[in-house]
Amino acid sequence: MLRKKNLSQLIEGLRTNENVINWHEVEPIEATTRPMPESVDDRIKAALAKRGIEQLYSHQCTAYETIRKGENVVAVTPTASGKTLCYNLPVLQAIAEDDASRALYLFPTKALAQDQKSELNEIIAEMGIDIKSFTYDGDTSPAIRQIVKNVGHIVITNPDMLHSAILPHHTKWVSLFSNLKYIVIDELHTYRGVFGSHVANVIRRLQRICKFYGSDPLFICTSATIANPKELAEQLTGKPMRLIDDNGAPRGRKHFVFYNPPIVNKPLNLRKSATVEVNQLAKEFLSNKVQTIVFARSRVRVELILSHLQEIVKNELGAKSIRGYRGGYLPNQRREIERGLRNGEILGVVSTNALELGVDIGQLQVCIMSGYPGSVASTWQQAGRAGRRHGEAVVVMVASNTPIDQYVVQNPEYFFERSPESARINPENLLILVDHMRCAAYELPFKKGEEFGPAEITDILEYLVEERVLTQAGGTFYWANQSFPAHEVSLRSAAQENVVIIDQSDVANVRIIGEMDRFSAMTLLHDEAIYLHEGVQFQVEKLDWEHKKAYVREVDVEYYTDANLAVKLKVLSIDRTKSRETTSINYGDAAVNIMATMFKKIRLTSFENIGYGPIKLPEEELHTSATWVEIKEADSSIETKTLEQLLMGIANVIRHIVPIHVMCDRNDIHVVSQIRAEHSQLPTIFIYDHYPGGIGLAEDVYKRFDEIKAAAINLVRRCPCEDGCPSCIGTEIEGMNAKKKSLLLMEGL
Amino acid sequence: MSGLRDRMNRLRGTSAAAGNGIGTDAAISSPEETVKRLDPATEPVTTDETEEDEILHTGWQPIGVKLQRNSEGTFLLRQIRYPLDYKHGTHRLNELGAAASGLSAFHGEPVEPEQVLFLDLETTGLGIGAGNVPFMVGIAYMQYGQFIVEQALIRHPAEERAMLAYIESKLPAYRYLATYNGRTFDWPVMQNRFIMNGRSRKIWEPLHLDFLHPSRSIWKNTLTSCKLSHVEEERLGIERVDDVPGSLAPQLYFQYLAEGDPEPLAGVFRHNEIDMLSLACLAIRFGHLLHSDEQQGAFGVLPLPSEPEEQVRTGLWLEKMGLSGRAEQLFALVLNTESAAISALLMLAARDKKAGNWQRAVLLWQKAVEHPYTYGSSAIAAYIELAMFYEHKLKDYVSALQYTTEALELALGNPLLQRRDAKKRAELDGLRNRKERLQRKAGRMHG
Repeated sequence: MLRKKNLSQLIEGLRTNENVINWHEVEPIEATTRPMPESVDDRIKAALAKRGIEQLYSHQCTAYETIRKGENVVAVTPTASGKTLCYNLPVLQAIAEDDASRALYLFPTKALAQDQKSELNEIIAEMGIDIKSFTYDGDTSPAIRQIVKNVGHIVITNPDMLHSAILPHHTKWVSLFSNLKYIVIDELHTYRGVFGSHVANVIRRLQRICKFYGSDPLFICTSATIANPKELAEQLTGKPMRLIDDNGAPRGRKHFVFYNPPIVNKPLNLRKSATVEVNQLAKEFLSNKVQTIVFARSRVRVELILSHLQEIVKNELGAKSIRGYRGGYLPNQRREIERGLRNGEILGVVSTNALELGVDIGQLQVCIMSGYPGSVASTWQQAGRAGRRHGEAVVVMVASNTPIDQYVVQNPEYFFERSPESARINPENLLILVDHMRCAAYELPFKKGEEFGPAEITDILEYLVEERVLTQAGGTFYWANQSFPAHEVSLRSAAQENVVIIDQSDVANVRIIGEMDRFSAMTLLHDEAIYLHEGVQFQVEKLDWEHKKAYVREVDVEYYTDANLAVKLKVLSIDRTKSRETTSINYGDAAVNIMATMFKKIRLTSFENIGYGPIKLPEEELHTSATWVEIKEADSSIETKTLEQLLMGIANVIRHIVPIHVMCDRNDIHVVSQIRAEHSQLPTIFIYDHYPGGIGLAEDVYKRFDEIKAAAINLVRRCPCEDGCPSCIGTEIEGMNAKKKSLLLMEGL
Repeated sequence: MSGLRDRMNRLRGTSAAAGNGIGTDAAISSPEETVKRLDPATEPVTTDETEEDEILHTGWQPIGVKLQRNSEGTFLLRQIRYPLDYKHGTHRLNELGAAASGLSAFHGEPVEPEQVLFLDLETTGLGIGAGNVPFMVGIAYMQYGQFIVEQALIRHPAEERAMLAYIESKLPAYRYLATYNGRTFDWPVMQNRFIMNGRSRKIWEPLHLDFLHPSRSIWKNTLTSCKLSHVEEERLGIERVDDVPGSLAPQLYFQYLAEGDPEPLAGVFRHNEIDMLSLACLAIRFGHLLHSDEQQGAFGVLPLPSEPEEQVRTGLWLEKMGLSGRAEQLFALVLNTESAAISALLMLAARDKKAGNWQRAVLLWQKAVEHPYTYGSSAIAAYIELAMFYEHKLKDYVSALQYTTEALELALGNPLLQRRDAKKRAELDGLRNRKERLQRKAGRMHG
């Protein structure tokens, strides 16, 4: 057997690979430290010293001092820069000074909260001060709950638990709310889009309750690198924030490699599958026992890569040393994988962006991304998984055929020079706002003239009175309904009900193997779909839509399934219009009808279409905000059929460009073209928020339309294909000069 | 406003499917359905009972409420005085005098009838969340030879402060709080309200006489439900006529809030009033049961529990409350009842086993296996207990083996046990192991 290569040798090997089209080295950085502030309690100093912390990184020190001055802070910290000390130090100090002080920590997930508790309790044990810190979540036993409520100094929880269990029962938490000094919001950047809009409202409710009990806590937020941390933190908390970004943590050398698979079909500019290339690259690292993480963009992709890798290395390493990680796995399964990564038992992991978050999996050496993760911020987050404070690390981004991937790898300056995206929330989304006002009214009555965010709420209060949810007496609006509103509101998704996946391969041992949200289930769990779970293929035997259950059985087939969605659009109101010479750009409300229509069976090895079948699921309707471009006067020399295809091509380009300019998940915003829009009979491209009522993305597109248009034109122009390829306008267009015509059409928009 | 409603409806069209809608349980009013809200204060009829000039809706008259006013505002109060010889079901209220001393077993301190405050709330929702408001607080107590029920009602949430202030002023005179599930519901809800209205959670720290838990201990298996209305019907001889179920109370109150007509509340007042009387009767019943004056004849005033299951459960509860003598009387009954169910026998045997009364435990197990309806897992359990007793206590391996064999045959032969889950399989394996071990031990003795 060949001798194993070490990481440096592997890096040198990669340098000579002809598919590597850009090599960027991030230079190592030395630490910037400052002495431990005088005011820190001696017991805390001693405990930190025992852990080898005698000095603080500059950002930790700034955070501590700013907070002590009584300011709210948001600290922007890359992975592994010691961000937890930014909040733990001031919090522990406050409790050391006054035993009555309380702090509330919010983490986006239960797992992160658990991690934090362990870390915190280790320091506390060494301090020798009786500080009680607890997690409070669905797993907390009733006996412990009493103790947490009454004597917990630091309560660590998640927004969902705060929303549904703590705030509606605030009278049981008098000692916490009366003495609350600090609210810590970790992973601030995850609170964007729909989830963030919900959480902003939960925080408003939290602040109302604090005010009721006479406390006025400071906020300490930490965030990964995004363009607008201060703005997001201020929007989320309604408080002025001090930005802390003087990161003083050291960093090892990092090689950032852009890898573009070779072209296999010149006229179509079709490249070799990114998945295949990722498999090869990962195999090289894994078989040399270099711990590697592979990020893929979808759950299906994760499972595909996982099954390939497990197959490739099973003789050398054993299949169990390479694992999948994504939403839909059960929590204990995830914990086991995280542990395995930390202690090195697991050598490789294939993950969706689920591992972007700060889940502690230790330091990996290599990160391979199957395709551009969709945003600059997300890319840096994933890249941060490889290489922490010391030593070399490699990040390889393998481009797929999509326009945006091709754009990014061919314009590296776009990626390395561009500031990361902004995170947007819209706490004033009417549905979300009204839902939380109901919850808030349940918790404490609304006084007339009371504020709840910037929006005017008197109308909403009166509306709720008419709906017999509230009753007005004197100058106050009181809850007057039998329900428990927090249980009717979920923070995570518009589609609240998850579909449970039930494996009935073994009749005697039917078991639940995972769950999936409603919208994803329409395309991934329909009857006859091939569903992959931990690399194992299952066929869906029956999707019981009414009861939200999918019954699956293990199979071994050589294809996967890919579902089509049909979308209908209806304009409900036009709020704003920009008229141009031959076009107009509009913003308003729209109704979207979505239906899964059919699925294709695609051969695993060649990706060719080998069959199809119908999907019989009810139509889902969505009312949301949309921006749309109408072509008022089309060039009469272009045939209708051609124009339709050109529009589809342009929609394809916009679909990929928009998520870059409006930081969001690619599923949060959808793009659809219509040759004859129902409301105007004009050729139109719609861009809409995929959430009832919208969350401000389409509006952002409306405002920045010209910027997006310019980016789209640039993408098509710079694409090396001859006349349209999947990386730009697609290949559906027949006849010559499609690219030129598309460009002409786009410039006229 | 209508613009907002339109928008909400449009958006909800989608999200309602996800259970995200507003007012799922509130009546959604179409314009013609919307009832004009009447302001009680503007209805032009006075009742001469009001000290002030405030005008009450005529609908209040038949209900018999009075307007109460204090420094915090106004609310309505209905007071009913019962003479102590009033008979509610099988008990008279004046029995409380004699029964009270029995209640001292709850906290090991003497109980005087005048120290007990009865409490029952009618709330706007379920649970003890901050938004669940008691719109009616019913209290009752003995005073000057009367049983006095007071029911405070708020005409709208702003009256809550005044009502709470009134209730708060009453509390310090009492030491005990008698309720049905008040420890985990009524009292915590009251505490919530005190906190939310800026008063301390600890204004009063009563000793609880919560009769739900003893009721459950005793009647869990003999009554189909341990709801107060069911317990009182089955065991206190109380029959309610045209009762408004407590679960409807919130809806009726919201109807009143929306329409301003008090009429629907009449039934809620009646329901709550009967609850208060029934609470008193439960106190009497448990008081008698716990009465330690043996002279009076243990169950002199109470009918003896007839079913062995209830006899055992009552005995176990009495024992827990420190009345072993009384408990023994009941246990003795069980042993002499021919028809005692196996479950009752096993329950008592388990108690005896724990207490070291092996003699009776063995008698009970034997009674269980000789039971005419011997089948199923309880009989198997009895055989196993006997086998264990003979093996470990008497070292009589032959008898133990015999019982084990019987148990195994029963387990294998019973068609009901044919469908075997993991637990049953484990039980069977356990039996087989036991049999093998005993065969070895028995063989060794003989060999």
